[in-house]
Amino acid sequence: MSVPLSQMWAIASYVIRQKLAGRKRYPLVLMLEPLFRCNLACAGCGKIQYPAQILRKQLTVEQCLAAVDECDPPVVSIPGGEPLMYPHIGPLVKALVARRKYVYLCTNAILLKEKLEAGLFEPSKYFSFSVHLDGLRAEHDEAVCRDGVYVDAVAGIKEALRRGFRVTTNSTLFDGADALRMREFFDTMMDLGVEGMMISPGYSYSKAPDQEHFLRTQRAHDLFSTLLSNPKRRWKFNQSPLFLQFLMGKQDFECTPWGNPTYNVFGWQRPCYLLQEGYAATFKELLETTRWENYGRSSGNEKCRDCMVHCGYEPSAVHHTFSSWRGFRDTVQATVTGRF
Amino acid sequence: MTDGATLEGWTPEIGKGVPLEEVIDKAFDYRGNVTVVKTDGSETVGYLFNRDRDAAVPFVQMFDLDGTGPISIQYAEIRTIRFTGRDTAAGNSYAAWLRAKEAAKFARQTEKGPEPTSSRDA
Repeated sequence: MSVPLSQMWAIASYVIRQKLAGRKRYPLVLMLEPLFRCNLACAGCGKIQYPAQILRKQLTVEQCLAAVDECDPPVVSIPGGEPLMYPHIGPLVKALVARRKYVYLCTNAILLKEKLEAGLFEPSKYFSFSVHLDGLRAEHDEAVCRDGVYVDAVAGIKEALRRGFRVTTNSTLFDGADALRMREFFDTMMDLGVEGMMISPGYSYSKAPDQEHFLRTQRAHDLFSTLLSNPKRRWKFNQSPLFLQFLMGKQDFECTPWGNPTYNVFGWQRPCYLLQEGYAATFKELLETTRWENYGRSSGNEKCRDCMVHCGYEPSAVHHTFSSWRGFRDTVQATVTGRF
Repeated sequence: MTDGATLEGWTPEIGKGVPLEEVIDKAFDYRGNVTVVKTDGSETVGYLFNRDRDAAVPFVQMFDLDGTGPISIQYAEIRTIRFTGRDTAAGNSYAAWLRAKEAAKFARQTEKGPEPTSSRDA
């Protein structure tokens, strides 16, 4: 079990409150993108291809907090772009922690050591760095198209842990990923002392530079089954065990695109973190005017056909946990035994 | 239209074969600046980041070259859209990375010289 009990309880009680209130659609994790600028240009990323004036734009802290207050999720994830390049990242995190939001700062960690030494952040049970690592040194440096990034990221992780911060990792897997090397990667991360790991197959962004290596459904099931069918007890995953079973093909969920809504310099992104079909001015408008029936596998939307990404299916897994005794039992069983 | 790999440089004439709604959709999907030509002859240059054709009055939204905006323009005001800015998604950084890795590998092999012949073959 790698998610702290207080965080588990916060999420569980939030979901139960939503269900008791009869809300059909509610957010779990707000994906807050204060900027699109990044200090990397990864092969599988479709987030940063914009003209210069868009890359220069960034949200104000007030805009970020207004979005959080309107959406009011229990968890806020700050991806981007590279959030450590956002000049107001320290005050933003502080304000979110003061609101008792569980904050995941998703970073490539190139600047992590420098920002920690500058005293930008304070350790808190509400705050975790989520360091992007797509594997061991060779695999990660290839995924981010730059040598030396893995070494920098590991140095940043060590420094953050030394200073008492919560640290998790997030890994995106593509076609051709070597399951044995990934298992070795899991061991290495546990040896480093990270709290937990997050894994997900990549989404085939139409704007990503590498279009050849996105996983299709069956191959994803095969890869994640090989990876997770005999997990070591020491491996900790900072995500729903039912989502991991879904990746292995043992659970079947429909997408929950409103579970991880996205807010960035353009507004509230329709319908999800990955697809850009337009923007709404408010979260309320997003929920009320998006044609949700047009998305997810059962909609027949080709863009959703092979998607198994955490931002759509992890909320589905959490929803499933609290929707039936079977879902609850499966989650408890996997959490206690560490087997998926 | 261009070859399909990128719309950069495309200057469509709105008409029977090229409906305005389709050009707006392509401009919305385009990761570069565009020039929106209005029916009154004026032009707005910038990044078209949003469009809503289901709204009571369909509109697009843009940020100009200074990043100022959002600027809203109704569909009915648009004569055409020219794809004037560089397509930022057309570059292939992954292919460039692979080429660089191959070149580095080749350079290392050249430095070391040819592989020694094994004794078994001697």
